[in-house]
Amino acid sequence: MTGFDAFLTKEFTEIRRTWRLWVIPGMLVFFGITSPIIAAITPALVHSMAASQPGVVIRVPAPTAFDAYAQFLKNLDQFVLIAIVITGAGAISGERSSGTAILALTKPLSRGAFVVAKILSQTMLLVTATALGTVVCLAVTAVMFDGANGARLVSTVAVWLLYAALLLVVMTLFSAGLRSRGAAAGAGLGFYFLALLLANWGPLARYSFFGLLPAMGNALMGKPLSLGWPLVTAVVAMAFGTVAAIRVFERQEL
Amino acid sequence: MTQVRSDEPAAVELRGLTKRFGDTLALDGVDLVVRPGVVFGFLGRNGAGKTTAIRILSGLARPTAGTAHVLGHDVTHASDVVRSRIGFLPDVPGFYPWMTAREYLAFAGKLFGIDAATVDDRATALLEMAGLASVDTRIGGFSRGMKQRLGIAQALINAPSLLMLDEPTSALDPIGRREVLEMVASLRGRTTVFFSTHILADVERVCDAVAILERGRVVASAGVAELTDRATANRLVVEVEDDGAASTVARSLAGRAWLKSIETAGRSVRVAVSDLAAAQREIPAAIGEAGVALRRFEIEEASLEDVFVELVGGQEAR
Repeated sequence: MTGFDAFLTKEFTEIRRTWRLWVIPGMLVFFGITSPIIAAITPALVHSMAASQPGVVIRVPAPTAFDAYAQFLKNLDQFVLIAIVITGAGAISGERSSGTAILALTKPLSRGAFVVAKILSQTMLLVTATALGTVVCLAVTAVMFDGANGARLVSTVAVWLLYAALLLVVMTLFSAGLRSRGAAAGAGLGFYFLALLLANWGPLARYSFFGLLPAMGNALMGKPLSLGWPLVTAVVAMAFGTVAAIRVFERQEL
Repeated sequence: MTQVRSDEPAAVELRGLTKRFGDTLALDGVDLVVRPGVVFGFLGRNGAGKTTAIRILSGLARPTAGTAHVLGHDVTHASDVVRSRIGFLPDVPGFYPWMTAREYLAFAGKLFGIDAATVDDRATALLEMAGLASVDTRIGGFSRGMKQRLGIAQALINAPSLLMLDEPTSALDPIGRREVLEMVASLRGRTTVFFSTHILADVERVCDAVAILERGRVVASAGVAELTDRATANRLVVEVEDDGAASTVARSLAGRAWLKSIETAGRSVRVAVSDLAAAQREIPAAIGEAGVALRRFEIEEASLEDVFVELVGGQEAR
């Protein structure tokens, strides 16, 4: 892992100085603030829509903290995961196409260190941003709703975070293996939608990391979870994905 | 940078180096030795295979066959050792646009494991040399020439034993080009400089030795002076009284055993020969027999361009 420290420091500095600081963290904080607000105003919105159509009566129960958390989780699933796909697509392919990888890798920086620094820095950004967004969501929900059970949101977000970290590793692998950022993003979106489909197949959901997706909803609803296989397979897949990304990148000519 | 010792291994040694991309043979059994301490020009047309060879030497690509040694180490098996001792500048250097020039040098120095104080001292000197000492803007705002000069500076941050530059002057204005060439020349004897170019004037200005690459093969490799002397020894120029006389001379010399090529331009006849002594004896006699008055007859000083065109026979040489 020659050159790891120097390259990791570069990655953190790059996050601090560029748009990377704002995209994922910005989204998470934004959703942390807006999810409880949207949950609170949804009944009013539905009523106003129903009022414009004669004869239509819609009964919407009063919003709760659960609705705020569900809205936050939905935003994480729909928007933040796709943002991870889009931004992760350029992790390595972007450095390759801009020529920055060539200058760095002709110095004593191993390709393994390059890949691991990318994954580690992005994972740390994701964890920090998720923690921040979750705290914001908990705080806004606590202000707007009574009886909020924050522990459920925290456990749900922890499951989501594991899946998001796995997706990040998958994107790094695609970014290492595919020549262009667009191709990596396309492959990533394919993986994202395929995972949504496969997560609905019971046996696969029970014994693989695809089970993390339905587990999020169950965790939020307080249902008992059986996360053994999904957790273990997710960690194994992350390790395998990291090693595969390194091997793929090592074999490439720049 | 330390002085080069005579017992050091070759800075670059290529043996049968071959690189194939699908059906395209980019390098075709290249043999080349670059002695330590010289400024070596790797000359060839665009697409001749120069960049491919440099990519292999810097560990960015692998050979299909043959071997490439840098400073005595096989680049395919000792990449870390090689990378720690070389400086490299690609033809289009890519920098992080959000960094300043000094920050990039600090980053590069850290990758080499050089302590911060030494990096700082070297960065100051190198930025001065590159004319970027007073530039505080981020690299994203640099001109191409500024990036090229920074590229050379970053390639020197580790005081390399071998500096590899791929077309280092191609993007520079005349002043920037002169500055870079002066800097390259100043490194002679302290480090080996291996630079690829298609600009013959650059090679003539600073190089001690040169290899000419054509279609993936080394067609000549020698000292610059030796190469031009070799060509000079084979070229004669004859000047006669008028255009018609020049044509008469050309006809009278046709078919001689030593004649390689002949061309007329106005009153001048340029003759490339394989046997200089025989040509020197027979040409004046032939002119006399043709009844033509001779105005000038001398050995023509060949330039590197003449050598290049003769060996490569192309149209792109400058």
